[in-house]
Amino acid sequence: MQKIPLNLATAEMVLARDIFKNDSPTGMPICGKGTELSDSLISRLQQMGVQSLYVEGHPVWQEGDRGLTEQLADLEKRFSKTMDNRYNTTLLEVYRTHFTAAMGDDGGRTEE
Amino acid sequence: MDERRSDLKKIIMDTKTLPTLPGVINKLNSLSNDDKSSVQEMARIVSADQVLSARILRLANSPSYGFYRVSTISNAMILLGVNVVKSLALSSSIFEIMEKNSVGLWEHSLGTATAAGIIARKLALPEVEEITTAGLLHDIGKVIIGLKCAEQMPLIRNKIKLDDLYISDAERAVLDTDHAEVGGWLSKSWFLPDKLSEPIACHHNVACSEDHRVKTSVVHLADVLIKASGFGDSGDSYVPPIQQLAWDQLKLDEALLQEIVVELEDKLVEVKNFSLELASAAVA
Ligand SMILES: [Fe+2]
Ligand SMILES: [Fe+2]
Repeated sequence: MQKIPLNLATAEMVLARDIFKNDSPTGMPICGKGTELSDSLISRLQQMGVQSLYVEGHPVWQEGDRGLTEQLADLEKRFSKTMDNRYNTTLLEVYRTHFTAAMGDDGGRTEE
Repeated sequence: MDERRSDLKKIIMDTKTLPTLPGVINKLNSLSNDDKSSVQEMARIVSADQVLSARILRLANSPSYGFYRVSTISNAMILLGVNVVKSLALSSSIFEIMEKNSVGLWEHSLGTATAAGIIARKLALPEVEEITTAGLLHDIGKVIIGLKCAEQMPLIRNKIKLDDLYISDAERAVLDTDHAEVGGWLSKSWFLPDKLSEPIACHHNVACSEDHRVKTSVVHLADVLIKASGFGDSGDSYVPPIQQLAWDQLKLDEALLQEIVVELEDKLVEVKNFSLELASAAVA
């Protein structure tokens, strides 16, 4: 899941969270989680003044973003002092699975 | 060998040089937590304090809480939760310093509070808000050390880097004490209840807590999770070992841990992508 500003949203991205009116959790829900974006939906959201939204995977890359491989390497470095603790190795596994899933099916950055 | 430690304790326990407990906290403490009407009453008390109001609105509008624009104190209190507001009042001056001088520690504290709340709710523990507050305050000793031992800070930082140490070990090597113990001293001088002071003093050694082992275990685990996530900056970058006592107290297993991590990361993503929002605002 990734939070992106609306101007970077493109058709076929899938909403990872509901969109609320005025970006407020107490506002009315406009569009539900799981909805696939289309050009017309995006322009409607623009008209409603929606600023940002949550989409599945990690479709937008910017300077300084870390790909899955780098993220997993960082993760392992953070756990390097406690690999002899079985609870920590369990937690490492949980995090490894989570990071991999969160970056989407393609496993993150595609090389150019 | 114990001289530095007792000197430091004296300095820290000297209330004249400590950030004071604002009077507003006593008023807030007398109100109940879950009562709807008390949110309004609390908002009224908080609104009377200009500095605190400003701080609460700033926090409510910070990326950690999503990008919801909040302009009234009562809405901010609904968004942040009454006890976050309480603990903000409680640690008002401390957090001002933390926000300014150590964004990383501030994020680590907010993240730990978030994680502690999620764990407590998942395990259906009583007093979720107190546990969240304990999470927010757990590393408060680091702020005090930063304030009172400014000269030794570079030494501590160097030790962490050169000797590859956890911050607690580096603190003990330089100061003969660590931020958990210092946080415990501070809690005493502030007369914080045991359910807050024990998690603060014992979050790196759950066995030292006597009456609030479960709360202490939650904060211990929350701190571990936030460090595992790589969120914020608590002074070193290594995940501490999960203590068996904490694991047993909370009756953890892999499936439970996984549910907690998924929920936690879901919350943290709001803050993590803040830079993206900023970058795009700069372009627009
Ligand atoms: Fe700590
Ligand atoms: Fe911590």
